[in-house]
Amino acid sequence: MTAPRTKTAYEGDSLRRRRDVRNGNMDQVALDIASPRVMDADAGPVMISAGDAALRPALFARYGDLSKLRYDFPLVLVDGEGGGRFLQSLTSVMDGILREVAPPEATAEMLRRQVLRLECEIRARVSRGESDTLSSLWKRAAADLIAEKGESLFGPLATKLDQAREALHVDGAVIDCDENTPYRVLVHVWTAVQTSKAKAFRKKVDALIMKLSDILKADFMKSDKAHTREALQSAVGTSFESAFDFAAMSRVLSRGPSEDRLSEDRRRRIRAVLQVLQSQRFYGPGRASERRPDQPEPYSFVFDGCAAALDAFRDRLPEMLDFVKALTIAELEIQNKYRTSLHDPVFARFDKSDLSEDQLAHFPSYLVCLRDGRTDPAETVRAFETLASGLPVKVLIQTDDILGTTSPEPPRSSFGAGSARLAAMAVGLNDTYVFQTANANLYRAHDRMVTGMRYDGPALFAVYSGATPSTAGVPPYLLSAAATESRAFPTFVYDPAVGPDLATRFDITDNPQATVDWPAHDLSYEDDALQHIDEKIPFTHVDFAACDTRYARYCEPAPRANWRDDMILAVDYLKLAPERSVEHHPYILTIDADNALYRTVVDDKLIDAARHCADAWRRLQELGGVNNSYANRLLARERAAWEEQKAQELAELRAAEPPTPEAAPLPEAAVPPVPAPAAAAEPAEAEESVNPDEAWIETARCTTCNECTQINNKMFAYNENMQAYIADLNAGTYRQLVEATESCQVSIIHPGKPRDLTEPNLEDLIARAESFI
Amino acid sequence: MTVPLTQCLLRLIDENYTLTDYQSDIAPRWCTGCGDNSILTAVQRLCRDEQLPPEKTVVVSGIGCSSRFPHYMNAYGFHGLHGRALPVAEGIKLRRPDLHVFVTTGDGDCCSIGAAHWIHAIRYNMDMTVLLHDNEVYGLTKMQASPTSPRGLKSNTTPRGALLDPLNPLTVTLGVPNVSFVAQAVDWIPEVLFNIIAQAYRHKGFSFVRVLQRCPEFMDHRFDPWVQDPSKMRLLVHADGVQLKPDISRIYRNQETHDPTDLHRAREVASLTEEIPVGVLYRNSAVPCYEDLREGERPNTPGLIRTVLNEEFDKVTIWPEDGGATAPAE
Repeated sequence: MTAPRTKTAYEGDSLRRRRDVRNGNMDQVALDIASPRVMDADAGPVMISAGDAALRPALFARYGDLSKLRYDFPLVLVDGEGGGRFLQSLTSVMDGILREVAPPEATAEMLRRQVLRLECEIRARVSRGESDTLSSLWKRAAADLIAEKGESLFGPLATKLDQAREALHVDGAVIDCDENTPYRVLVHVWTAVQTSKAKAFRKKVDALIMKLSDILKADFMKSDKAHTREALQSAVGTSFESAFDFAAMSRVLSRGPSEDRLSEDRRRRIRAVLQVLQSQRFYGPGRASERRPDQPEPYSFVFDGCAAALDAFRDRLPEMLDFVKALTIAELEIQNKYRTSLHDPVFARFDKSDLSEDQLAHFPSYLVCLRDGRTDPAETVRAFETLASGLPVKVLIQTDDILGTTSPEPPRSSFGAGSARLAAMAVGLNDTYVFQTANANLYRAHDRMVTGMRYDGPALFAVYSGATPSTAGVPPYLLSAAATESRAFPTFVYDPAVGPDLATRFDITDNPQATVDWPAHDLSYEDDALQHIDEKIPFTHVDFAACDTRYARYCEPAPRANWRDDMILAVDYLKLAPERSVEHHPYILTIDADNALYRTVVDDKLIDAARHCADAWRRLQELGGVNNSYANRLLARERAAWEEQKAQELAELRAAEPPTPEAAPLPEAAVPPVPAPAAAAEPAEAEESVNPDEAWIETARCTTCNECTQINNKMFAYNENMQAYIADLNAGTYRQLVEATESCQVSIIHPGKPRDLTEPNLEDLIARAESFI
Repeated sequence: MTVPLTQCLLRLIDENYTLTDYQSDIAPRWCTGCGDNSILTAVQRLCRDEQLPPEKTVVVSGIGCSSRFPHYMNAYGFHGLHGRALPVAEGIKLRRPDLHVFVTTGDGDCCSIGAAHWIHAIRYNMDMTVLLHDNEVYGLTKMQASPTSPRGLKSNTTPRGALLDPLNPLTVTLGVPNVSFVAQAVDWIPEVLFNIIAQAYRHKGFSFVRVLQRCPEFMDHRFDPWVQDPSKMRLLVHADGVQLKPDISRIYRNQETHDPTDLHRAREVASLTEEIPVGVLYRNSAVPCYEDLREGERPNTPGLIRTVLNEEFDKVTIWPEDGGATAPAE
């Protein structure tokens, strides 16, 4: 596979180019790279065609026409609750149908193929830009397949597809991976979470409204107005009105004792609370709320700028405060625990500073959608101010271009700067949920997005769309996935709610091969001798940048004939010491439109960018607990201390060794002290010393049967647990004591000896008491 | 975790219920020495310790000596029809899930005329505490054999002695699907009785406690062998069940460590005849409650119910052609 090393014009050209870049001789560079070419080993530079220039990273070879592959896209934005799964891929939906109607063990191969063919048709339609719900796309795709096959609308194929359709349990818009996907997905997830929140809100508020209404209704039923003939007649209705004498009923009721009514103050308070609960505009009205034609529409919570969102929050704050107060008063009133003297001052003082997170959690969160390159750049600054405020604002920052332009070219920050680092910066806000990912990962990031949307505080979602205009020919799905693979836009999440420390809050495990600098993947190809070769090829930031036509001038593809020994993979080149790097030419493996393999030699510009990218990635790794420098340093220190201690111990042992070890008596084995024999399995419980001459009761065993108290309720009494004790021995006779002892159902009275020795028949009583002492 | 504002404000109100707050003005009319007194005291102690507002507590009963219970509690009460305590309690719980529902029923009320309701109440697993006062006889009606009367018991209805083996309420309950809490107590160990009732109350679901209860009038000395010989009582102890205080443990030394999640062993223990097992036999907190399963996502308001009912009635209403009533407009 190694190409013969020959001295060519290419080498000198490449070296000169990289030297010129370092010297800032950009005109010369531009001139040199304006003509993309590969170097022929013998004949010097060879111009290549424009089509050949569209080289792609070699690992893209397996991804041809995405519309013919089964993968995470298109996505179905599931309508309704969807069992808590708001996003599904078309593939997973179809797999679910197949599991239901054509399990592998069943003899349903034909049906399976037909369903997969239908999926293929839907996928093709979506990739062509058709946008509709899954059910509509299904209908149209099925009609096309049936027409294509020349069958009738009720033929065998239609029957089979109808059978499959019965197993289709979800519906919703079907979308492909494009520049609009992050916005649509995030808005959809936000809406789904708000819908479930609204349901809980309405349930709570409706229940309060109904209970408060019940209180007023019960009070009204005690009023004179409710006892009038007309009111009674209205309550019975028309069906049986002739069976009653409502006037007589009214007279009887009015003569009855007046019942306790609510105070006017309480009635007024409940009505005021009802008014606030029923007229809230944060969610649509629930079942228990009245719907009036003049009722204003519920508030919107989706904004395209942070300033507008914050203004709306401030404007609605008084209503929020009123609602929180009404909610609390309602809960107190329902429990009949509102005390004017205690609670009125609390509610009079209640203001925005008293609003707690759990109270704010009742209300919808605010969604702000920003798009890098289109939104006013000042909004980025405002976004951080908004997130830092701690308010429940969810900010989406969509980025379409993470590499940036090449002109003007600052030496270091033209790659990977700006919006690609916003999410990492937001982690410093500490209380903000931060999630960064690429468009291609959105389906797998379902739970991350839902968690962020449900988080009570602010959240930032940074998403790279992959729809970079300067990468024509690379689908957004592939490019955004490449951004994650190349660490240009790694996936990570910072969730302040899951734990107290960084180890639990920060997570980078959603990245491919997160413990290494660059993920490596299998590449299979044939060499000149048509022999099959498998290699592990790392995918680096250089590979990602090479997809961008703006950076094509920093890349020079060389066909296999021009491969030489001094070419090394960019990933290996990155590890070289600076003084050795001049001896080599970094390259990445690329392919042309015919999947022919090239070594594309890249300029230092891309190498520098890759170094910066790797450095940023390592900082994220450290936050995620991979190769943490503090931990490594501590480990090294502890290991050194341990080794030093062991070395010292060894030295001491050697120093203490007698010159003739064979004559030395063997040290006695250390014999651990023999433990004392185990104590008795159960230590003897300290028996209470009871004087058999004194009367006493085992109060804890008393069953409240009243036997003793009925004999003498001064001698025997009940304690706070309604269990008997001897209250006063002098309050009765020894005979009563003995009788109570004998009648006690559980024999817990112990009469002791008589106190009054003059009491008659003592001998007999003592004999009777003997067995209870 | 912050404390909700409502809870903070509730704490401002210093309500401290004592045991007497749960005693009604009516003094218990049970016979002197009746075990029902012990159960009443245990329930009142529980209400006090849990600080249950009397207006949020309801005791439902059927018919029998034990069913006089609601009269003696200062709380809402429903002294219902024979055998029908459980359906009434279920209705209360469905309509007012915020109430603490206790059911007191006797061996005749529950295991005979109310047996069908009992079986299905176990299956429904609604959140309530059910106390079966089992004295093994119909006492209120002056001694007839009940389903739990021992074989050979001579009574007004079985003058030659009961012919059948008694029904074991524990094994029956443990055999019903969805059973979630089964315990047995005896009235003559009040500390353990209280402990078991407290655990039953804290369990979310249908907590069934059979309390063996002495009847000094019609079953006098029936339980004497066990009352007088603590070694014949088997106390089931466990970290998640009953834990005995030292003074009780010293008397009742026949103890078995029984895991309340072990249904198989619970059934074995429930079948003991020579010894009386006391403790929590079975507990499964994972069984869903019917009221939770049935709870709709949105409340049914009176207006909505009225509308739906009218629509349904209109479907089958025959409107007289010659006036009187008119069909509703479309």
